[in-house]
This record gives sequence, C-alpha cells and structure tokens, in this order.
Amino acid sequence: MVEFSISNARYTYVHDQKYPSENADMHHIILRRSGSKYIFVYASALLVLACAIYLYFLEEKSISLVYYSLLFDIFLVKLLLRKPVNKESVVIMPAFGVQLETHYMSGKVVRCFVPIDKILKPVLLECVTPVTCYWTLSLIVREESEMVLVFKNLRPPIKMLVHVWKALCAATDNKEETCTHAK
Amino acid sequence: MGANDDDPRKHRILMVSDFFYPNFGGVENHIYYLSQCLLNLGHKVVVATHAYGNRSGVRYMTGGLKVYYVPWRPFVMQNTFPTIYGLLPIIRTILIRERITVVHGHQAFSTFCHEALMHARTMGYKVVFTDHSLYGFADVGSIHMNKVLQFTLADVTQAICVSHTSKENTVLRSGLPPEKVFVIPNAVDTSMFTPAVDRPKRSEQIVIVVISRLVYRKGVDLLVEVIPEVCRIHPNVRFIVGGDGAKRVRLEEMREKHSLQDRVEMLGAVPHAQVRSVLIRGHIFLNSSLTEAFCIAILEAASCGLLTVSTRVGGVPEVLPDDMVVLAEPDPSDMVYAIKKAIYMLPKIDPQDMHNRMRELYDWNDVAKRTEIVYDRALKCSNQKLLERLSRYLCCGAWAGKLFCLVMIVGYLFWQLLELWQMILRRCRISLFRKTVMKRFWKIHNDTNGVFWCTTEFCFAH
Repeated sequence: MVEFSISNARYTYVHDQKYPSENADMHHIILRRSGSKYIFVYASALLVLACAIYLYFLEEKSISLVYYSLLFDIFLVKLLLRKPVNKESVVIMPAFGVQLETHYMSGKVVRCFVPIDKILKPVLLECVTPVTCYWTLSLIVREESEMVLVFKNLRPPIKMLVHVWKALCAATDNKEETCTHAK
Repeated sequence: MGANDDDPRKHRILMVSDFFYPNFGGVENHIYYLSQCLLNLGHKVVVATHAYGNRSGVRYMTGGLKVYYVPWRPFVMQNTFPTIYGLLPIIRTILIRERITVVHGHQAFSTFCHEALMHARTMGYKVVFTDHSLYGFADVGSIHMNKVLQFTLADVTQAICVSHTSKENTVLRSGLPPEKVFVIPNAVDTSMFTPAVDRPKRSEQIVIVVISRLVYRKGVDLLVEVIPEVCRIHPNVRFIVGGDGAKRVRLEEMREKHSLQDRVEMLGAVPHAQVRSVLIRGHIFLNSSLTEAFCIAILEAASCGLLTVSTRVGGVPEVLPDDMVVLAEPDPSDMVYAIKKAIYMLPKIDPQDMHNRMRELYDWNDVAKRTEIVYDRALKCSNQKLLERLSRYLCCGAWAGKLFCLVMIVGYLFWQLLELWQMILRRCRISLFRKTVMKRFWKIHNDTNGVFWCTTEFCFAH
C-alpha cells in the first residue's frame, strides 16, 4: 500500500510501507521513461548513416565510409543509451540494516546491503563537478574511507532525498539509542 | 527560513576569485575578513574559487561562509586555465542555487574572476569588481592584462579600489569613468596583532624586522644595499628577515660577503599565524617594496607597535599617519637616512598607544559597511539590454572592441542554449509564444533544486 508519493517531470518518489508488522520501510525513486531521448539518438544515428550512404552512392566515395558511419552509430547508441536504470530503491530494516537496490530496464537487479551498526550517519551532500552542482544522499560507513552513495545512478531532487534521509536518520538514531540503553 | 528571505535590504553576495584559503595573502585575507563582517551584518555570502589539490567541492567556514571549490585545475600562478566559456555552466548553477543578487570579483590577475564576472553580466546580474594591485603600462604582460581588464570593466556596475593611487591606476588602465570607482582601504585584524607585553630593551639592541616575499617586486635588491650600510653605521642594530622567494639567495650572499651572520637572522618562510610573534621581536619594520597598491604588512606592523620605514611608492603614503611611518624614495642612500631618522624617533614611540590608534583607524567592520553602500548603489543601477551593453564594448578599441562584442554575443548565445537544454531536461513544454509563462515555470523548477539552508535543525527555503 502506497503511503506517500512526490513526482516531478523526471522522477517519481514513492514511500512504501508494505510490511508494517516486519518493520521494513521502502523508498523508491522511479525514473520516468521518455521516448524523446531514444528518438533523438536514433534520429541522429539515422542521419549519419543517410549522409554516408548519400556520399557513397551519389558522390562515388568508398564503401568504407558507410562501414565507419555504422560503427560510429553503434558506438553512439551504446554510449548514450547504455544500461538504462528503471528504479532505485532503499529498503530500511531498523534492526538489520539498509539494502540499496538498482533495478535495470532489462529486469536485472543489483543489490547492496549495509549493516545497521556499520552506518555512522546518513548525510546530504552537495557534489560539485566542473559543470554542475547537485545534491546526493550518502552513508558514512565505519572503517571505510569512502562513503556509500544511496542513489548511485539517479539524481533525484532534494525534496525527494530529504524524506529518505529523515527515514535513514530515524533508523540509525533508534539503533544508537538501543546501544546506549544496552550499555 | 533565513532572515534574508524577508529583508530586501540584505544582499546575497557571491565572491569570486582564484585566490582564497588555503592560500595566504592580501587578497585571500581581504575576501575572508570582508565576508565574515558582511555575514555579521546579516547578508549572505558565498565564495567561489578553484579547487586546491584535494580540496574540492563545498566547504563551510566560520560563520556559515559557504565556499565552492570548483574542480578546475590552476595552471600558472594559481590561475584557472582560461577557457572563456568553460565556467558558464557551473557559475550559472551557483548563481541560481544560491539566489545571488550581487557578484563581487577580486583581483585583476585572476582568470576565474574575469570569466565569472563576464558570465554574471551576460545573465544580467549586478557586478562589483575590486582591484588590489597596481600594474604598469609598458611591458607586454601589462598591456595584455590591461586589455583584459578593459573588457571586464567595460560593463561592470561598480568598482572598488584600495587606495586613491590605485583608483587612478585602475581608471587609467581600464578607461572606466571615475564616478563608478569607490575607494575603500583595506583594514587589519588588530585583535590578532597586539604589541608585546615586554619588549627587548632599545638601549641594548635595536631590532629591524623585514617580513615579505623575497621577490623583485618587494625590493629585495634595495635591501641587499641597505642592510650592510645600516649595520656599518649603527653597531647596535640587528636585522630579522622573514620570508622566502627567488631573491633569497641574494640576501644570503650579502650575509656571507659582509660577515653579517650574527647581525642578520634569516627565518625562511613564516606562516601567517606566526607573523605576530616575529613582529613583536622588533622595534622597526622595514618595507622596501617597489610597488604597492596598499600594503597591509605595514598596518600589521603598526598594530604591533613597530615604527615603520617604507618606500614612498604607490598607495603607501595613504596608509599611516606621518608620526607612525618614515617614508623614503626607493634608493639605498635615502632609505639608510630614513632608518637613521627612525632610530632617532624610536624613544618617542609608545607601542600600546600606536596599537590603540590603529584600532580606531582601521576596522574590517567599517570596510564591510562601506562595501554594503557600494552594493546598494550597484543594485539601484538599471537593468540593461544586451544591445545597450554591447555599445560599451565597442569603445574599447578599433579591433578589440569588435572582438569583445563578438565574445559577448557568443557568450549570450551559449547561455540561451544552456537554458534551452535545461528546459528540455526538465521536460518543460516549450512554447515560443508563451515565453513569460515558460520562464516563470523554469524558474520554479530551478529554485526547487536550489537553496537548502544548513542549520542545526534542517529547515527549508520552500
């Protein structure tokens, strides 16, 4: 049963509490597929091929040009349309840990589990690249120099990340409290 | 919610320069102290600079000062590689995310600053430029630098110089109308530079301190002539030389030649945090710069209660009152005479009194208030269309004017292309006829990815 959802032009955030009795909390970020990217890439590939064929037939250039253009097209398609990601999920189990899943269009799912006692803190960070700046949600993990990115392929907006971050904080804080109680 | 959202008088300032912490220097300190004082006045300040080694990304400094270390590598003398349009996407992102109102660039010799100011003007933001140095007119490097400056300042909203001499120099180099240039001198952190509690006795030995980068510009060649002469005339004078650079070898040679190893102490590079501990060991501070727009070093020395002897160059005569400084021409014999005069004046100097006067005269809060006035004036200037702005570039020169116009037009086109690309990414419906509605929609989309206030409990701008 869907509890809460936000969506914008590219992403949809869904907060799912399907198993309330088992204390598992699921957050999904779903990428909205748009045909326009495919149309654009295939159209430009077709254009390159058409130019090559035109040059071969009408301007008497060699056949190797057509082969090269075909190779270039395959390279372009592979580069721009590779491994499309459908959805990324976070399953929070306060007693055990956090499972990070990446669902691909082909049906393949890649999972990564982080035990709850290894998580020091979930943090919202700004990442600066030479051309842009965006928000990411990461987990600071004990005894590791690198942080674990929660959403590895998708870049959802901060409004969606905040809900996931709050849920992660609640889960890790609870764990800390139980630790102190036990001591 | 920050107070900024409600108060329209408070500005959101972006400082841009190649020079910032972890580098240490006049420009870096200026940006840092000015930013801290502006934050105290209730404005929001963000600094953008290039990445220093591993220091890349967003960092927060004291008082919530946000610094963007943009991962563009420096290529010569801490300057980012000039790509003309390369910085457009990241500067645009920062300007939109932080909802900046004024962009403030520092230092003419900073490619990051020039490019960022150009892009900010293309996007219609108000731009303020501060020039920290004096430059020549004759050599090849200066001629090119001045042309670049002319380009940037052709369309700047307001400019700030650190002394009247610097204002004259900037106006002559760039052709900027003098009414647009404000003079706001630098200041010094007097709480950090306090006189020594117990000073070495003057009757035993007089200690002259020199702290500067040992390069040609700082007049090391003069020092090489002056020091042996002073040591010969005054047997009770000792020198402490701090700093490092290309000309250090000449000083070492001088020491060897005149056997002054016990009279001249070379400290090497002195970290900024330890400058005060070196200054308080002395009675007189010697500055032999060949050119100086302002010279914060003599302010630091005066704040520590040292009498200053300096060359009469650039903006130095404007810095200290006549009873705190002895000026000389950049000539060895004149400087030796000035040092003699300073030694004679020394008994009348009270370090604590000097420090108190410096505290009254120079204060970074005062600099911040005056800079705030410049920002208010900048924001009152009218928004101008591209065509009006292009006419200003045409006056820069016969060929240069046309080249600058071309650069600005191409920049404008790139910007429009980038906006279109962003709209496509956000899947906004593009309608050429409903432009105003579209622009508003796009703005909302950009803002939702924008400001995220960092406080102890997270709270949101929207």
